[in-house]
Amino acid sequence: MTAVSLPAVLAGRPGVPRVVVALLLAAVLPPLAGATPLLSEPHALLLTGACVTAMAALSLNLLLGYAGQVSLGQYAFVGVGAFTTGIVTGVADLRLPWLLGLLASAVVGAGLAFLVGLPALRLRGLYLAVVTIAVAYAASESLFRIDAIGGGSAGKVVPRPYVGDTALASNASILAIGLVLLVLLWRADVNLTRSRLGRALRVIKADESVAASFGVDVARYKLLAFSLSGAIAGIAGCLNGTAYGTVTGAGYGYAQSLALLVVVVVGGLGSRGGVVAAAFVVTLYPEVLLSIVGDGIRGVDLVINGVVLMAVVAFQPRGYAGAMADARERRRARQGGEPPLPPTRPSLPDLGRPSGMPTPRRIHRGEPVLHGSGISVAFGGLQAVDGAGLRVDRGTIAALMGPNGAGKTTLFNALTGALTPDAGTVHFLGEDVSSLAAHRRAARGMGRTFQLIGLAKAETVYENLLIAQHLAAPYGVAAALTTLGSRAWERDLRDRADATMDGLGFGRYRDTPVGRLSHGQQRIVEIGCALVTSPELLMLDEPSAGMSPAAAEDLASTLIDIRDTLGRTILLIEHNIPLVLATADELYVMDAGRVIADGEPLEVVGRPEVVRAYLGQEVSA
Amino acid sequence: MGQVLLLGLIQAGIYALFAVGIVFVYRATRVLTFAGGEIGTASLYVAALVSTRAGLPWGVGALAAVTSAVLLGAAFEFLLVRRAVDADPVVLSILTVGLALTLLSVETLAFGSSPQGLAPPFRGGVELAGIVLSPTMIASLVVAAALGLGLQSALRRTDFGLGILAAAEDPAAVRLVGVPLARIRLVVWSASAGPAAVAALLVEPTVGFVTPGYASTLYLGGLVAAVLGGLTSLSGAVIGAVVLGLTESVAQRLFGDAGIPNLNYVVDLMLLLLALVGRNALPGLVAWIYPPPPAAPTSTPVAEEIPA
Repeated sequence: MTAVSLPAVLAGRPGVPRVVVALLLAAVLPPLAGATPLLSEPHALLLTGACVTAMAALSLNLLLGYAGQVSLGQYAFVGVGAFTTGIVTGVADLRLPWLLGLLASAVVGAGLAFLVGLPALRLRGLYLAVVTIAVAYAASESLFRIDAIGGGSAGKVVPRPYVGDTALASNASILAIGLVLLVLLWRADVNLTRSRLGRALRVIKADESVAASFGVDVARYKLLAFSLSGAIAGIAGCLNGTAYGTVTGAGYGYAQSLALLVVVVVGGLGSRGGVVAAAFVVTLYPEVLLSIVGDGIRGVDLVINGVVLMAVVAFQPRGYAGAMADARERRRARQGGEPPLPPTRPSLPDLGRPSGMPTPRRIHRGEPVLHGSGISVAFGGLQAVDGAGLRVDRGTIAALMGPNGAGKTTLFNALTGALTPDAGTVHFLGEDVSSLAAHRRAARGMGRTFQLIGLAKAETVYENLLIAQHLAAPYGVAAALTTLGSRAWERDLRDRADATMDGLGFGRYRDTPVGRLSHGQQRIVEIGCALVTSPELLMLDEPSAGMSPAAAEDLASTLIDIRDTLGRTILLIEHNIPLVLATADELYVMDAGRVIADGEPLEVVGRPEVVRAYLGQEVSA
Repeated sequence: MGQVLLLGLIQAGIYALFAVGIVFVYRATRVLTFAGGEIGTASLYVAALVSTRAGLPWGVGALAAVTSAVLLGAAFEFLLVRRAVDADPVVLSILTVGLALTLLSVETLAFGSSPQGLAPPFRGGVELAGIVLSPTMIASLVVAAALGLGLQSALRRTDFGLGILAAAEDPAAVRLVGVPLARIRLVVWSASAGPAAVAALLVEPTVGFVTPGYASTLYLGGLVAAVLGGLTSLSGAVIGAVVLGLTESVAQRLFGDAGIPNLNYVVDLMLLLLALVGRNALPGLVAWIYPPPPAAPTSTPVAEEIPA
């Protein structure tokens, strides 16, 4: 397959809405053939407006639907695109080409989003919403009214694009440009959602901690999403300015941004088709109402929009697309078909280290894979970990036990970089990683699972295995949007995901959302997610929690396989003593933040201080 | 200079009233509400109907305004928030945007965009540094500070207040120990609408008329002030409002004739970005000035699980 070629797109390749293609042909073909256009000029302008809304809706959907970040000032970025086009193409005497204006709109839109998002998106929560409201007011009420930018009270004039020496005077021709742009953006959006970028954004929306554990740099990706969204909004603005010919600040205010929110929520957050359809419906229905009912209805559409927005959020938060998906789900449920019973476990595949990830450092024989020492963590007045340390040798399984509140998970988090300890050092494969963030340690070959399951629950098993390989296919944004240069990576990712899924005996659950699996099955999927990048060290936090004894036995043989067949190293937190005795080569016991015993498991569990830690008193022999 | 400070403080009073309502809802529900400005505007229309059209005294109109705002808040909770209560705070914040949009369009539909008048409650005023201070101007900052302190101690000192704070931290646990969660939510959403109505009533004499959505632009100041104050601190919100009001006023004096219309919005944005940069870059210093907001729940557990 080659890159998306325009003719292929126009021929209605899968994923491109046929309606848009039909409109495009209706707008372009008759004038080309010398016939009268099918659309009157006012209608063409109206449809162009709907295209602008659809593109703006795609931009907000990318940010809110995929990445879960709220912008209440998206039309400010649309406005930036419109004014930028006016300024760039209107530079006196140069008559710069319109395409340059289009490009500048995208760049300026992205740049502004980057600057504004930089401080807001590093923090969790709704800061971006407040900042974007401020942007909405500052842009439409103030900046766009500065004479140098907004062209005074008359507004900024945007000239029509030229082909050779003729200006494209008809609205139908601008509509054609708009539809082509919409189709291209649609295509880029399809590519985005299927790329590592789209997966990273979805997992950020689901759970930022899970995202970080898969190696996603959360702040960076949120900023990337906002910048891309600013670029798309800028392109929409370029089209809007070109269609109407004059741009004033009033057209790009807070009210328009809120109306866009209605479109995206009603269409269904995260649903490309839903939001584009909603954009056309919400833009066009007031005009239809006006022409049927007459002027008396003016203003009622805004009330309808507000009420519909509230009703959708309260009763069907996933919008039109969500309602459709629920209906499909009910039909499938009626036809019967629960996922089949768990199959027996085939052997694990020995996947090499993915080519996109650095090869783990080589260490000398006898050097530990993981070595933490003197680690202390305090939460307020509580000393959770107090000078604890441990070492794990290559090709062994080390277990960490201890009563509740002993600080095992906290020590784990300090070792993986999920939290920064107050004191202590962590060496991984002979390298001091104490000051590295969690995702950097993950990239060096440290895989981990969580006590509470760290998976994107709404996504399928297969999706999770792909998300888990975020660091394994380091292609960039351009590749993600065009699929140029990402295909080989994606093929490799999919092969690895398939091999791991089959190796764990989960092939039949490929398309089952993780949240529907039993607790024990989710644990196995989580281990699969850690294994799929073939890490040097696997850190498992209570893998047998919530498992039946039979499932725990199965787990034990999986762990032994990972050690003996694949030659990997494992550190696990475990309460299940039979499992520990069956698998571990070395046992550490923690109590009150300190390591109180370590050594050969069978011998350690019998030591009086260990018994005392668990039972709280001396047991006479 | 005295005039600049005074103008800043007058503006600060308005922002503080809105900011207090915003922080109250945020502390109680983790939801950032965007509807306060419109709730205030809508209740002013009620006051205009009662006082200007029906000719009743200002006090009756004001009472009607506050009552209708509280009822509106209660209805919003009862009919809508309740349905989506398990949703993400982001989703509930979008719900408040829906309320704002609906109120705005209903105001426009019912009253058109021509301004409605409301006679001021008091005549006259004090002249200070060349500005005639009306009683409502002085009242807004005083009322805001009193509301802030009052709500703060109600939250910290009463059982119901502590229930509200606990419900925001962990609704599931609170439900288990028998705190009436539904009633708490109803009280929070209706009580939070009150300050919005009070704010609108105290602003109106300064502006002189009501148009659809006129409090929205002031509400932006309230949002910025709330963020400046750390979003969880009621007293911080009042301080944030004073900082914002004074900065706007000083900027207007310094750059007022630089040819930038509505300079205050640019000032709002700059101050907001600066505050966020500060929170990123100087966490230690900022944590000292603002108490940090409670961390969002994460899936990385700190507590140990109880073994079976």
